Amino acid sequence: MGKKKCIAMLLAGGQGSRLNSLTKQLAKPAVPFGGKYRIIDFTLSNCTNSGIDTVGVLTQYQPLLLHSYIGIGSAWDLDRRDGGVTVLPPYSESSGVKWYEGTAHAIYQNINYIEQYDPDYVLILSGDHIYKMNYAKMLDYHIEKGADVTISVIEVPWSEASRFGIMNTNEQMEIIEFEEKPVHPKNNLASMGIYIFSWPLLREYLQIDNNNPHSSHDFGKDVIPLLLHEGKRLVAYPFKGYWKDVGTVKSLWEANMDLLNPECELNLFDHMWRIYSVNPNQPPQYIAAYASVVSSLVNEGCVIEGEVEHSVVFQGVHIQKGAVVKDCVVMPDATIGENVYMEKAIVPSALEIPAGTVIRPSMPEEIVLVTKEWLEQQRSETIEKG
Amino acid sequence: MKMMLGVIDATTYMEPLQNLAAHRSVAAVPFAGRYRLIDFVLSNMVNSGIESVAIFPKYQYRSLMDHLGSGKNWDLNRKRDGLFFFPSPDLPLPSSQIGAFQHFEQHIDYFLRSKQKYALICNSYTVCNIDYRLVLEQHIASQCDITEVRYQGRSLEMFVLETSLLLDLIANRVQTGYNSIGDVVHNPFHSLNVCHYEHDGYVAVIDSVESYFHHSLQLLQPDVWKQLFIQSRPIYTKVKDEPPTQYTADAVVKNSMIANGCVIEGHVENCIVFRGVKIGKGAVVKNSVIMQKTQIGERCELEHVIIDKDAKVENDVKITGAEHRPFIIRKGTVQGVLMSQ
Repeated sequence: MGKKKCIAMLLAGGQGSRLNSLTKQLAKPAVPFGGKYRIIDFTLSNCTNSGIDTVGVLTQYQPLLLHSYIGIGSAWDLDRRDGGVTVLPPYSESSGVKWYEGTAHAIYQNINYIEQYDPDYVLILSGDHIYKMNYAKMLDYHIEKGADVTISVIEVPWSEASRFGIMNTNEQMEIIEFEEKPVHPKNNLASMGIYIFSWPLLREYLQIDNNNPHSSHDFGKDVIPLLLHEGKRLVAYPFKGYWKDVGTVKSLWEANMDLLNPECELNLFDHMWRIYSVNPNQPPQYIAAYASVVSSLVNEGCVIEGEVEHSVVFQGVHIQKGAVVKDCVVMPDATIGENVYMEKAIVPSALEIPAGTVIRPSMPEEIVLVTKEWLEQQRSETIEKG
Repeated sequence: MKMMLGVIDATTYMEPLQNLAAHRSVAAVPFAGRYRLIDFVLSNMVNSGIESVAIFPKYQYRSLMDHLGSGKNWDLNRKRDGLFFFPSPDLPLPSSQIGAFQHFEQHIDYFLRSKQKYALICNSYTVCNIDYRLVLEQHIASQCDITEVRYQGRSLEMFVLETSLLLDLIANRVQTGYNSIGDVVHNPFHSLNVCHYEHDGYVAVIDSVESYFHHSLQLLQPDVWKQLFIQSRPIYTKVKDEPPTQYTADAVVKNSMIANGCVIEGHVENCIVFRGVKIGKGAVVKNSVIMQKTQIGERCELEHVIIDKDAKVENDVKITGAEHRPFIIRKGTVQGVLMSQ
């Protein structure tokens, strides 16, 4: 294998339990987003667009769909002779099977993979976030600053700072303190979970961390605090632009709705920074004579016969006559029956909403995640009332 | 179906389609919002299990080659068999009949090396969704020499025959006087046993601007596109990685087929809209075909037009073509207000 200047390790093993039933059978990075993508498409496309051609994808939780989706990486132009995408699930060795115990442990278990490429730098990414970022610029910054570790940070509203890992920096953007979810934040620069390490240093500290029986083997909780404690040079890389952790049903819905805002910074139509995804090979969408579609994103293969307003509609969705879909996210191959009324809801893939169903949140700030169980419950309630 | 190889004759030149095929071969004419004409026959072959496909182009095949690439989008980038591209730029004008033997002879090695017992020869401009396995089954069961696929009595220029018979016909073309497979089938005095297979689904033969326009707008009838776009037999094409189509608050869309990557701010009715098209605020576009990446300005009024790829229609342009004679805006051109007055 040829030497690579920088390779990426993409952590994609997360369950995303706060996405409830959406992640029952698939890992969070595989959750559909934005009318045609899966969450991981953004990080993989960022790699390709940044010129990073070697990406190890670490999987663990519900990997079947994620593995088949990534395949050999062709969709992102990452099917390379030298490098490209490699899926790295946990494996067994003579001493037994080792599940990935934490983010740092997952990387530790794949030191052999990294060493094949003898990289100078390793970029650690998470497959959970929606954003467009040029990692090459971040690497330049890392080199220019002479940093041991560079951590990408984004300004968050002060009121929300206590939900994030907050980096306290000096004027040179050197990190002097890291606080995980501080009650009284001193700063509003949140870690985006994107790290560039100089590889020899990372290798050394992964070893140290692995030998520590009290460690939870997590970058944020263990490795970064240890490096700070030992006086290493940690630098914050300020990122400006759209970035969203779609960790909850509500934030997933919000991030989809963001795309419908003409002012949204996340431009999917930028040909210079395309977001690639696996193509579903469906015909163009058909909008019927009596349909109406406004302020929405609609993907190929859809048949729209009802009214769609301010919604994100994935491929292969059928919205039947008289149905009204408002402020909704409708995932691939779902069917919305005749005269359904839906507002502020997420419909998961391939779900069929029976004709005449009314779906709206009971509280105005809530989002309904429609499930089969929910639909059955509605039906039995209607029968009882009826 | 490792038993049959596919041959697509993309040598056709059609004067009546000239306005859409000036920069591209007929096989590469865009159709149905995101496809090229050749996608239909090629996908039919792939969906019928054919793993070796030879394409014989003649005119302006740059866009065709660009479109097909390695054949990956059709799953034809194979170590064994796969997609073959056989241009013969030095040959004189080909026979007006499909399946010119002279053209095949230039690349006879392909036929000699192929292990497939049967060959399927098709033109590139017949749009339908057909399972060639059924054609072959009938061909074998009825012990025919050549089976011709027909639709309502009209030849669809799709033929199944044994590869060895094809090789004989190519080798003996001077003696027999048959210059193409079409010659053989349409000569009432030939000695071969020619059978017919009747296809009963949707068919569009694109051989003129009028038929192109007519069949494009026919696709807006659900019972028509349902026969063409069958979930178990998808039509493959070159992937473009366009985002979903965006409809703004002012968009009005009625009875239209719209591909990905468009931004629709105006009024679109009875239209086929290809990938990456932008339709400006206040524009009204009716009964038209708008090809890839074309931009239509604000307040335009267009009816019965075909706008080819990468064209630009400036603000406030009004153009009305006739139902049977659509107004054509050529590829890459700019249509200003003064030009149409």
